[in-house]
Amino acid sequence: MASRAAPPLTCKPAPVALPLPPEVTAVHGAPAPCGRPRRPGRATHQRNLSLDFRSMGIVLPPVQHSSLRRTHHRNRSLDSVLQEIPELEAAEETALKPALSCPRVRRAGPPPPPPVAAAAAPRLGGEDAASLGSTDSGISSDGSERDFRGDVEHAATGAAAMASGPARSAIDSDWPPAGAPVTGAAPVTVTAGTPVTGAGSVTVTAASVTPVTVMAAGDAKPGTQKSWLLRLFESKLFDMSIAVNYLFNSKEPGVQTYIVNRMFSFSEEDTDFFLPQLVNMYIQMPDVAEVLHPYLVHRCRKSVNFSLHTARLLDAYSSDANLSNKKKPLGTRLRNLILSDELRPKGATAAERRLAVPPARPGEQTLSPLRRTHQRSRSDATASYSKGHQRTGSTGSMRCYLGDIGSGRAFDSGCSCYDTAQGKCNDLLGRRVECVCGAPRLRPQLEFIGALMSIGQRLGAMPTREAKTTQLLNELSLLNLNLPARVWLPLYSTGHHVVRVPAQAAAVLNSKDKAPYMLYPHLPQDKAPYMLYVEVVEVDGPETAPVPAKCINTLRHTRSEESLETAAAAAAPAAPALPTTFSLYGNMDAENADCWSQEDDDISQQYWQLRRPRLERERDTISQMSLESADSREPVLIAPGDIRRRLADSLAAPRSTFARDPEDPSAAVLKEPWAEKERRIRASSPYGHLAGWRLLPVIVKCGDDLRQELLAYQLLETLDRLWKLERVPLWVRPYRIVVLSADSGLIEPVVNTVSLHQVKKNSRMSLKEYFLQEFGDVTTEAFLTAQRNFVQSCAAYCIVCYLLQVKDRHNGNILLDSAGHLIHIDFGFMLSTSPKNLGFEASPFKLTPEFVEVMGGLGSDMFEYFKILMLQGLVAARKHHEKLLTLVEIMRSGSQLPCFRSGAATVQFLRNRFHMNMTEEQLQYLVDSMVESSIHSLTTKLYDGFQYFTNGIL
Amino acid sequence: MASRLRPGSQKKQIKEKIVQIYESFFKGEDVAAGNANFWDELFLLRPRVSVLESELTRLSSEQLSALKVPLNQLFARCVDVTDAVDLLVGLDAAEREMGRLCGRCAELLAGLYPETLRSLVLDALLAVAAASEDINRNGLLEYLMINSSLFEPVIQLLSHGATRSVHGHKCVLLLTLLVNYRKSEPANPYVVKLSILDDELALNGYSQVITAALSEFNWKYAAQTCDSQSQGWLSSLTSMVGNMFVADELATRSESIKANHGVLVALYEAVHLNRNFIATLTQASTDASSQPPSPQSTLDREQAPAPPAAGQPDPLGAPVNLLVAFLQYCSIVMQDTKSDAATNNVRQCFIVLTCVSEDQYCNSLMHDPNLVFVVRLHRLPMRHRKATDRPAHPQPLATALLDLTVEFIMSHLMKRFPLDLYLQCVGIVHRVLCYQKRCRVRLGYHWRELWSALMSLLKFIVSNENAVVKRNNIFELAILVVNIFNLFITYGDTFLPTPTSYDELYYELIRMHQVFSNLYSMSLRYSNEGEHREAAMRLTNNLVNIRAICNHFSPKIEAWSQANNQTSLTEDQVLDVVRSNYESLTLKLQESLDQYERYAESPRYSSFFTAVVRSVIRDTWSGLNFDQVDHASLLNQTSAIS
Repeated sequence: MASRAAPPLTCKPAPVALPLPPEVTAVHGAPAPCGRPRRPGRATHQRNLSLDFRSMGIVLPPVQHSSLRRTHHRNRSLDSVLQEIPELEAAEETALKPALSCPRVRRAGPPPPPPVAAAAAPRLGGEDAASLGSTDSGISSDGSERDFRGDVEHAATGAAAMASGPARSAIDSDWPPAGAPVTGAAPVTVTAGTPVTGAGSVTVTAASVTPVTVMAAGDAKPGTQKSWLLRLFESKLFDMSIAVNYLFNSKEPGVQTYIVNRMFSFSEEDTDFFLPQLVNMYIQMPDVAEVLHPYLVHRCRKSVNFSLHTARLLDAYSSDANLSNKKKPLGTRLRNLILSDELRPKGATAAERRLAVPPARPGEQTLSPLRRTHQRSRSDATASYSKGHQRTGSTGSMRCYLGDIGSGRAFDSGCSCYDTAQGKCNDLLGRRVECVCGAPRLRPQLEFIGALMSIGQRLGAMPTREAKTTQLLNELSLLNLNLPARVWLPLYSTGHHVVRVPAQAAAVLNSKDKAPYMLYPHLPQDKAPYMLYVEVVEVDGPETAPVPAKCINTLRHTRSEESLETAAAAAAPAAPALPTTFSLYGNMDAENADCWSQEDDDISQQYWQLRRPRLERERDTISQMSLESADSREPVLIAPGDIRRRLADSLAAPRSTFARDPEDPSAAVLKEPWAEKERRIRASSPYGHLAGWRLLPVIVKCGDDLRQELLAYQLLETLDRLWKLERVPLWVRPYRIVVLSADSGLIEPVVNTVSLHQVKKNSRMSLKEYFLQEFGDVTTEAFLTAQRNFVQSCAAYCIVCYLLQVKDRHNGNILLDSAGHLIHIDFGFMLSTSPKNLGFEASPFKLTPEFVEVMGGLGSDMFEYFKILMLQGLVAARKHHEKLLTLVEIMRSGSQLPCFRSGAATVQFLRNRFHMNMTEEQLQYLVDSMVESSIHSLTTKLYDGFQYFTNGIL
Repeated sequence: MASRLRPGSQKKQIKEKIVQIYESFFKGEDVAAGNANFWDELFLLRPRVSVLESELTRLSSEQLSALKVPLNQLFARCVDVTDAVDLLVGLDAAEREMGRLCGRCAELLAGLYPETLRSLVLDALLAVAAASEDINRNGLLEYLMINSSLFEPVIQLLSHGATRSVHGHKCVLLLTLLVNYRKSEPANPYVVKLSILDDELALNGYSQVITAALSEFNWKYAAQTCDSQSQGWLSSLTSMVGNMFVADELATRSESIKANHGVLVALYEAVHLNRNFIATLTQASTDASSQPPSPQSTLDREQAPAPPAAGQPDPLGAPVNLLVAFLQYCSIVMQDTKSDAATNNVRQCFIVLTCVSEDQYCNSLMHDPNLVFVVRLHRLPMRHRKATDRPAHPQPLATALLDLTVEFIMSHLMKRFPLDLYLQCVGIVHRVLCYQKRCRVRLGYHWRELWSALMSLLKFIVSNENAVVKRNNIFELAILVVNIFNLFITYGDTFLPTPTSYDELYYELIRMHQVFSNLYSMSLRYSNEGEHREAAMRLTNNLVNIRAICNHFSPKIEAWSQANNQTSLTEDQVLDVVRSNYESLTLKLQESLDQYERYAESPRYSSFFTAVVRSVIRDTWSGLNFDQVDHASLLNQTSAIS
């Protein structure tokens, strides 16, 4: 093929910096190798044009273009994308970009580019920058450009076009052949396309991008084969999933670089979703790391949150990677770089430069503005210099309390830039406020999360559940001393500041649920997950927005005389619901009384009496009479029989909550309807009056590896999206995960749910009966809705359980929400693990006769609907199976996670479970038989029984 | 003063003795050595402020700090002398000079000075505050009132963990004394400032200091009792014999109780004056659980979380909060009401608990089913029961508070009947019930214990009528107790946990009907004559419903047992009878069962607190010891200042 015939140019850059002549000072200042006058600025300008409009969706027919021009365009496009990137960023990126020029050219040309990299090196922390930087920017090197032309002219291969540089012919052999035999589309593309660009990579997406493939195949002519891959990349269908897939599968530096550059134009949410995959590739694949580095650095600069996420993931996924070839693996180095807090927004460094550049260097300062690289790198150096200087100053004047929980300022970085008049003014104007004081940027957030984790650790040391509960209360009340602060829960993407953690609402969770087998070998003793409700106030841009002021006055704040009316009004509607809340939380009176002084009480009592609903007034008749009787000396008679009846009535009123069980405090906490809890906590919070007030739940886990949960979240989320895309009414509830390290993390609790175990334990009835109790008779609309919800969610999770081989499905791991949805949690055992293969849970998924009973029994309409849904869901999943496989496959590399214990076969087995070769009839038959065998599964019953005996889970 | 007005004119004069003393004093010589009457002589001499001043200003800061100890000594001596202000500076300049002194002290406390120096300043201030036994007659304090600039630095010291652990106790003590200076007059700025203080950290620090002192006491006591319990019967026998001769244990206990006087007053002032302080009652101690800050090493704390300090197991288990520590403290303190001092101590505890049980917010904290704590209440060993402390499990604090009152009621039924303590104690129960009734909180409490305790109390009163009634007006107490029962009877639906508990209430009333009828006949006897006539009459009225219940159900039960031919009925059978006979019973509605007189310090407890503060001052004064200051370390530290 053409590319094979192409000159064997390996464009892998030389890993060591070539000796540089001292007199050469700037990249662009290097003498033009061919004597052509250098116009560095223009070179960049030219490159801008193409991808801009291409990515706008105007896809130019590639075949018509000469490969030469296309190359140019693409090459430029890199920069055009980079245009969005802050100045400094671009510089560094240029410096760090793997060479697109081939070494041969460089050798032919004059001395390679000068120490841009060297200038940037200190910021990147030593050797890592040196190694990356020294590869240098071929882009701007004139030699490469010139060479390109020639190169492309005779190597008109797709690979060359793609890679904007000579192809590496070695690709063929490297290519994992897995995809090719399976997909039908593969042969087509292989014949049409070139082996160079990697048949596998195309076929991997074949199912999802069929139109493109077909078009490409049709278009394909010898000599222009490359076009279809490019067209795929430029098509609208090119999304992060495909990008990540190609990044993983392509060994082509050019392709990789192109993809990373495209990533700059993807929305941040899209790329963030694949962050675990990106990070894992960064750790496992040095070549990908090189191209990814600029992107990650760029994002880190922009956002504290992204920095921390990346650092955490790097940390977590480095922990068990077998990387012994280098002293300090790439991942660790990037992590340290991020944590060293040197990746600051460009603005800050610019401001610092203004402050700090000594007047002795104005000449350099006014160097041609086109030589951006040079300027920028110097400013970096000065910035870091001045930063250190300032920091010592600030510590002198004000003590740094970061991390000292007792100080009340544990999460206060000491930065006041956002709170100054200037900062507030800018904020109001919508201008981005920048911190110029050099206060630690990541530390507050690090300390906050660290504090949450250390609470968990100390809880773990407590011997009993009671001690844990008390300890948690104590710890949280301490934590509150340091709030509000400019910190947030990384679990939630909406910008917010944490203002308070209501200690009473927190609960220690059953860590027992996490250990399906008593004999589980590595069960750490100090696991103590706990659940928090965090009060936050929503803000735009939590990194800069001013933090709400501390409100200590919990006693009066919301109850001043002025707000009397609203308080009473707010309380009034809730009055009919009083009986239900009596037992547990006192009631509305109590709620309000929290904050009342006696004086307030008297005033409001009178006020309230006027407004109270009649029902409410009757309740208190006795007190009223008692008061009245004080005046009239006429004895008022009361009947103790009535008193007792009222007592019995108020307690017999249907409860929306479970009784508080000291053994399982989380049950009651979880069962309380979310809206009610939110209202209750808001009413008692001193911050409740703030406009953006919200309550966010979070589970903090110490001693549990959540990386698998994270993968499960990604898979569930992907399934959810694709089912929505395919309009299959299946319902899943992916819950968010933040991995903090290899053995800790945050989990988003699913609110308004109780586990089946808790349902059974507290209500002591079958699931069907529980449904009847909660939602009403079978004929009611509420019940039918709940039943439909149940079926749709049950079918979805059956597919999930089958595809992912989720095990450990006891009733403690299956939740039921207030709308009747079934939700599976805890994906600690999936793919190739099942807990101690004792032969339990042999059925494809958990479908007990009880579930079927809720659906209406075997043969009922809803049960048939259930099976149809399963089939539809499976077909839809199969259509997009590559998206799922990509996620799993990338995470598998280098991973020691238990779910990958069977190695490469894990992915293969997963692929097999999509049954690509089956017709729909066959699939339907498969579904039927799986449902059948699950219902009658003896092992499911056995497993539930086992769980009951070992862990007391009903 | 004259010397101040013309400082230059005296240059050539012969040095006065006082000047010589000043000079030698500032050279660091021990002027008092060898002359027992030195201080007396010194204060007889006319002070030369200008010389003193110039001497002081001449000194370098280094020297000055080195002289801090003697200066303090000097000042303390000055304070000893009754009219020290006049002697030191003359009355006309007093205001300005004391203002400067205050300013300087505030500066020293707030600035970056070594802890020892601050400690000395606090000592000096305490010496000023404790200069006179009757705090209201301490003229020096008047100047501290005019210059209230000391408040902020002291609060600062309390806010920060590091300084708090060193100076916390002194700060709290100082604030307490300052607040108690003519507190009934509105002029005291410290009262105002303390009552509006809303710095959460400072309040938290304040509470930590008290918590630390109380839990140290608790811990010592627990260790002590643990020791005595763990040694076999032989040693307990010997110690019993030993206790006959020397009440050693008691001595040490009263010693530490006394030492806690100041802390108790501090707690009282905070609870009484500051509304925000209530919130800190259930906040845990920061000092126990927070590791020392290490700003440098914490950069990657998140990634490599510091291992929990395994090397330092907390002797008390989980960090305790103030209310828990205080309840435990109360349970220990109230075991001893033999001496007046001990009784006063218990009284003060009950006053604090009264304030607490009147506070809505605190009540809501105590009744929150999610705020559960382990409270280890100590129980006195008594003849009819073992001293074993119950296995404690976490429970809402209101439960612990009720347990505490039940314990007090049961353990003080003695000839020397502490009536006013009982009034306070039952008053606390009443306040808690009023809150529950008003807010419809159903505390899962074993109410039977409370009922039987209250009935035992009534029984004791009735059977010891001669001994008790003569000395006290027990009718007030009886009315209160009966009213609590009336509260249960009338409003039980609003706060009892189950319908059965309402039946049980009737069961208990019927079972103990003898007590009530005896009480009734006793009150009838007194309602015709004597000084307690009115109260006795009210009691008769209040007993109306209980008597109606007893009279209604007793025949029914009688009839039932005859019908079923059973002489003794089981509890369930009685409950059945009760349940089936509610309907035919009507009761009279009692008036204002849920009203109580709000606690007010003045006038009822004014004199009590004057006495308490007096003893606090005595303690403070004896606690101050300038001779113990470690000069070497002080010098080391102060040399680093300049």
